[in-house]
Amino acid sequence: MSALRGFLWLIGFLLAGEVLVTLTGLPVSAGVIGMLLLTAWLVLHGGGFDDIAASARPLIAMLGLLIMPGVVGIFFILDELAGQLTAILVALLLGTLLSVFTTLWLMRRLVGGHDTNARGIGHE
Amino acid sequence: MSEMIEQLMANPLAAVALTLAAYFAGDRLFRAIHAPAWCPPLLVAALLLAATLWLLGIDFADYRSGAGWLMLLLGPATVALGLPLHQQMSHIRELWRPLLVCLPITAGMAALYAVGIAWLLGASPETLASLAPKSVTAPIAIGITERLGGSVALLMGGLLVTGVAAIGCVSLMARWLDIHDERLIGLALGINGHALGTVRAFEIGPTAGAFASLGMSLTGILTALLLPLAWHLPGLIG
Repeated sequence: MSALRGFLWLIGFLLAGEVLVTLTGLPVSAGVIGMLLLTAWLVLHGGGFDDIAASARPLIAMLGLLIMPGVVGIFFILDELAGQLTAILVALLLGTLLSVFTTLWLMRRLVGGHDTNARGIGHE
Repeated sequence: MSEMIEQLMANPLAAVALTLAAYFAGDRLFRAIHAPAWCPPLLVAALLLAATLWLLGIDFADYRSGAGWLMLLLGPATVALGLPLHQQMSHIRELWRPLLVCLPITAGMAALYAVGIAWLLGASPETLASLAPKSVTAPIAIGITERLGGSVALLMGGLLVTGVAAIGCVSLMARWLDIHDERLIGLALGINGHALGTVRAFEIGPTAGAFASLGMSLTGILTALLLPLAWHLPGLIG
């Protein structure tokens, strides 16, 4: 029952997000706004959210299953993408390499070099 | 036979059952063949499901309309991500200053590099819209790409490739830049490699894992809030 009560809370936040998106015209999905509302609500209340946790944990654990119909779709549109496949792959691979470099370089400068080598040596 | 299948597929639960079955079978197969660390179990399951649909001659559109019932749960599941985010608050407080500077830049760059390269190579606007949220965790990314007018299927393929590439790139770059701080490696994995990178970070260590999920959540939120606005900007000006 606890999980069901939590589920109602989650849907409540989702619908509240939907209302906010409709009212403000923000080009953001209702789920993201609902997530931010939930986070804000948890920060404000600090505790007593066992119901939400009972529903949120299994839902998060099954995210992989929930996105599967989307993943399968890729095998059925490969034909349409034939002309663009090289562009897509280069963009993904090179783009990821560049953005990983940017992240590591920037974070090292900002978080500070003094303890950069202090933690977690030898986990490769 | 094919009539029977058509009859069955009219019930959305058949598509749900196929998805569930492929999910568990994929998980088993993944363990049995000792798949390499870079191969996500989801890829095995998706391949199995695609092969099953093709063998049974099920139209993908029929499957998708049934499986849509399953994807309905993505909304509440996205909201549920607020719970782990709340649990990350102590890390956010500890590092809010560098995060505040770094995240908008890195999240922006993750999208910009890919879209820029694809644009230079002549990809269509729909493809660009599908690739833009490539570093964002799937439930949030689906919402973004729908807003931008991209293809969810292409996005999911992009997410898989990006996640796998990010894991390889982070370990390569960390060695090259001589970075051993688990917090930095975790953040880089989460920001660039979404859920796949986060899983890898937890294998490195709990600190890396915590910072990866932090990086993943914040990148997701930031991209969801800023990318659709940035996308419509050229249209508003021009």
